[in-house]
Amino acid sequence: MAGFILKRLVQSVFVMLAVAFLAFSLFTFVGDPISQMTGVETSLQDQARLREELGLNDPFVVQFMRFTGDMLQGDFGYSFRTREPIGAMLLSRLPATLELGVVALVISLVVGIPAGIYTALRPRGLVSQSILIGTLIGVSIPTFVIGILLIFLFGVQLGWLPTFGRGGTVQIGWWRSSLFTGDGWRSLVLPSLTLGLFQLTLTMRLVRAQMMEVMRTDHIRFAIARGVPWRSIRYRHALSNTLIPVITIIGLQFGGVIAFSIVTESVFQWPGMGLLFLESIRFVDIPVMSVYLVVIAFFFVVINLLVDLLYVAIDPRLRVRESA
Amino acid sequence: MFRTTLPTAALALSIALLSATPIAAETFRWAGTTDPQTMDPHAVNAAPVLSFLNNVYEGLVRRGPDMNEEPSLATAWEALPDGAGWRFTLRQGVTFHDGAAFNADDVIFSYQRAASEASDVRSWFASVTDVVRVDDYTVDFLTSAPNPLFPGSIANFLIIDADWAVANGAELPARDAENFATRNANGTGPFVLAARDPGIETRLVPNAGWWDNAAHNVTEAVFTPIGNPATGLAALLSGEIDLISPIPLQDVAQVEGRAGFKVQAGLETRVIVLGFGHDHDTLKYSDETDANPFRDPRVRLAVAQAIDVDTIDRVIMRGAAEPASQLLPAGLSGYSDQHADRPAFDPDGAKTLLAEAGFADGFSFGLMCPNDRYINDEAVCRAVASMLARVGIDAKVNAMPVRGYWDELRAGNFDMYLLGWSPGTFDAEHPIRFLAHSRTERLGTWNFGGYSSARIDALLAPIQQEIDPNARQAMLDEAAGILQDDVAYVPLYTEPLIWAMKDSVNVVQRPDNFFMLRWVSVN
Amino acid sequence: MPETGKMARLVRSEGVWLFSRSPSAILAAIATVLIVLGALFAPWIAPTNPYDLASFSLFDGLLPPVWADGGDARFLLGTDDQGRDMLSSILYGARLSLSIAAMAMAVALVLGVGLGLAAGYFGGRLDAIVMRIADVQLALPAILTALLIDGISRGILPRALHDDLRVAVITLAIALSLWVNFARTARASVFVERNKDYVQAAIMMGQHPLRIMFRHILPNIVGPLLVIATVDLASAILLEATLSFLGVGLPANAPSLGTLIRIGMQYLLSGEWWILWIPTVFLVVLVVAINLLGDFLRDLFNPGMR
Repeated sequence: MAGFILKRLVQSVFVMLAVAFLAFSLFTFVGDPISQMTGVETSLQDQARLREELGLNDPFVVQFMRFTGDMLQGDFGYSFRTREPIGAMLLSRLPATLELGVVALVISLVVGIPAGIYTALRPRGLVSQSILIGTLIGVSIPTFVIGILLIFLFGVQLGWLPTFGRGGTVQIGWWRSSLFTGDGWRSLVLPSLTLGLFQLTLTMRLVRAQMMEVMRTDHIRFAIARGVPWRSIRYRHALSNTLIPVITIIGLQFGGVIAFSIVTESVFQWPGMGLLFLESIRFVDIPVMSVYLVVIAFFFVVINLLVDLLYVAIDPRLRVRESA
Repeated sequence: MFRTTLPTAALALSIALLSATPIAAETFRWAGTTDPQTMDPHAVNAAPVLSFLNNVYEGLVRRGPDMNEEPSLATAWEALPDGAGWRFTLRQGVTFHDGAAFNADDVIFSYQRAASEASDVRSWFASVTDVVRVDDYTVDFLTSAPNPLFPGSIANFLIIDADWAVANGAELPARDAENFATRNANGTGPFVLAARDPGIETRLVPNAGWWDNAAHNVTEAVFTPIGNPATGLAALLSGEIDLISPIPLQDVAQVEGRAGFKVQAGLETRVIVLGFGHDHDTLKYSDETDANPFRDPRVRLAVAQAIDVDTIDRVIMRGAAEPASQLLPAGLSGYSDQHADRPAFDPDGAKTLLAEAGFADGFSFGLMCPNDRYINDEAVCRAVASMLARVGIDAKVNAMPVRGYWDELRAGNFDMYLLGWSPGTFDAEHPIRFLAHSRTERLGTWNFGGYSSARIDALLAPIQQEIDPNARQAMLDEAAGILQDDVAYVPLYTEPLIWAMKDSVNVVQRPDNFFMLRWVSVN
Repeated sequence: MPETGKMARLVRSEGVWLFSRSPSAILAAIATVLIVLGALFAPWIAPTNPYDLASFSLFDGLLPPVWADGGDARFLLGTDDQGRDMLSSILYGARLSLSIAAMAMAVALVLGVGLGLAAGYFGGRLDAIVMRIADVQLALPAILTALLIDGISRGILPRALHDDLRVAVITLAIALSLWVNFARTARASVFVERNKDYVQAAIMMGQHPLRIMFRHILPNIVGPLLVIATVDLASAILLEATLSFLGVGLPANAPSLGTLIRIGMQYLLSGEWWILWIPTVFLVVLVVAINLLGDFLRDLFNPGMR
């Protein structure tokens, strides 16, 4: 087990490096930071001097080495646009994204898993069909349209909920949370619904498919034949087998939630990392974009690692295989 | 005596109402699309930054509601003999927000800071050779040549407290890492920076010790950047913010139709023009021809005649724009009234011109266009392409985000392009210097197409130095005429300025799109 | 495994019967077929060619659909801000969106299932490499993949070609952000199936790994793959819309459904509702129909799940 973890850790470092490299290389194509950093009247000489000072004339490899070198020493560099230290910038935006992501994920699980089980056990029922079709329509409308519709329905027409931002926040150390004020929660409702809807449908359909699959496997049939009560079959035998692949997907989903929050954050002006990233693209703020991607990669790597470990812990067959 | 009772009562009541107003005003919240990226007045020469900081910092000269120059930290200014420069008499008794007194040392320090290599506004001081302290409240700006427009050109040169900057290690604008002045401010302006959360919100409170009489009744002002136009509009309509600028043109009717909201529309100083690849030997995006038809003035005129600016204005700009004939909007200093007419919309004439130039069968070419820089920029380009297609020339529109746009233009990757130009000095000399002069290291830096006219080049320096207004206007008229005859650019229209706000808010909309809190009142 | 011929006959006969009993499947099939036909034959059906700049005029801009006040009989569904016929734009847009989504799906499916099967079956180093590549891929959200591919193609391809390859770039970007789901599902299922007796038996009988993978394992994971494929075909269409919304999608002069919605978003509140809602409703109907058909097919291929 220790060897397995170690191996995965080493692999993870390579994944991070690869992402950093890709991230960094793609930003050379995004645009010219200098023309975004300087005013209309700035002379070409001054632009050239700034380019030189920022090291943008150095060969790509040199720039990349400097970037990773600094990063390994814990120096994330400074934003081209605001000149702020990027580490602090991202850290201040992290809580907003995480809180939004977690609440969205919780919504998708709390609603998605029971709905998936229900629709699997009563596939022909009217309620099941309505749930399936309802979520299908919901998930077929682009996220940004849904977000703006929710804003106009609940924010403008009904005036129940705030339309943008995080509302009242509470500072706990460096973590700024909107989970401790009523206002903060009200601000969370629309963005987390928007973000959670797609994941909800995915979770539900996955649980449903897996549950139906499991219900017809040999050991369930065997259990039926043995006369095990239905309730026990459904919730002990079938459900436990259903949840293994679901764990993987949920783990991966959290990564997806964080990544997809870019759109949601943009629609709701939610001050998280995704919004920061979009602004950085707009202003060709290469260092911020690169660090953001590495941080996102870090999340994915950690989540994947946890998922794999869980897999091994839950499914004994894999344990045998890994140790072999 | 008893007869005074009623007026006295009314007076007392109105005093009570007046004194109640600031309490009723509470917090004023406004939103724009872009966050000012820094609080440092010399680090970035960009409208969002300068507009915001003009509420916190002040210059020697400031602009009034009609862009007229008026005294600010300088009470008076006069040209030195022989065009050697300008003498500014400074205002006495002014204090910075931290209580420090303002005097000539702050002006000289700010000049050195703003003209340093680390500054992005140093081009304002290109003609300045030295700044001399005459006494505590008198400063001379010496220039290499007579410069009649100098006071107006430094209206956004904001004065920072020397001691404060030095004490906090912000002697120079931040170049790489941030410094203290990136997030903190110490100016003399009507508002004090109370809290700064970059990209999220910035709070200002009134400066109780401001030297001027405050015309506003704001007790606290909060700025929030909202990038998504629909979200911003929703925030206004739901009452969470009091004012937003700009809103999309197509939503004007929606806001006006709602009780409790209004739209304030005006014209900005930005003119949208089409530019050509004058110095390209061939078209870059064409299969039909090896030549560059746009080198022929007849073809350029045909383009101008083929575009129906009125219809673009009516449909795409909802009638809010104003057709333009020159590189600056009508009414600005140096605008040439003799050349106020733009070529009439005449598709048949355009076809004739094309045939005369030998392109009766038309040709295809690439039209470069930003899609997130100007109001409805991409839609305008597509409309232009559609109108040109009707006279037989086929424009392939390539619309891209502005972040990569200037790069492409500098690299010459266009046959025709869309450009918006707002003269930073609000004078006709500005577009000649940047757009019409032949391209050199310092001049013509935004003349991407390489238009070149010996006469225009020769006119620039005299225009910059001429003190006599009539002689100067004559030269500007000549330049405007040359640009029109050559069809160096095709000016399309002046961009509109659209702000939306609650009915209770009263503001002054300045044509440079600067948002001045000192003119805001909330009933 | 039973002989394929018999199996196919079984599926066919049962399929027809099941189909006739499922109103949602019938409706979905009708909608899908109509939309696909409309898209396929857009050049012949559409009243105008929205790509031909000379065929429309700004004079006709912002006209509402025929049934609304001020509608014009020439434009059944109204016109957009450029005076383009909405019906034509939608038909051509559907054509573009469907081909992008279908191509992206196909690429993702082949790539993902191939890599996933191989990784799960052979395990070891191959598995580690594939899964790490998948990790890298997952760590780059679709929008970034699109930017990356866009950037690279910009860098290596001649400038003039770049615009023409825009569709290919988007397709590849969407495919690359979708293949991981297939790979992970295929791999996870192989882990489970691999240890089952029938596979072990096949291995012991000395069958070729490829044959085992495609003949024995693949048919057993068609269920989960179909779930993902249907959801993903839908998300491919939506992803293209989202990329367009974020400004890295297709240009406005050759609009896909996503681009039409992006343009329409500007008119959400302005009263010109048809510019947004007609393409949106069209997109939703298309996506829902595809999903419903997917559900139906899945039930059909997995008799035990009925």
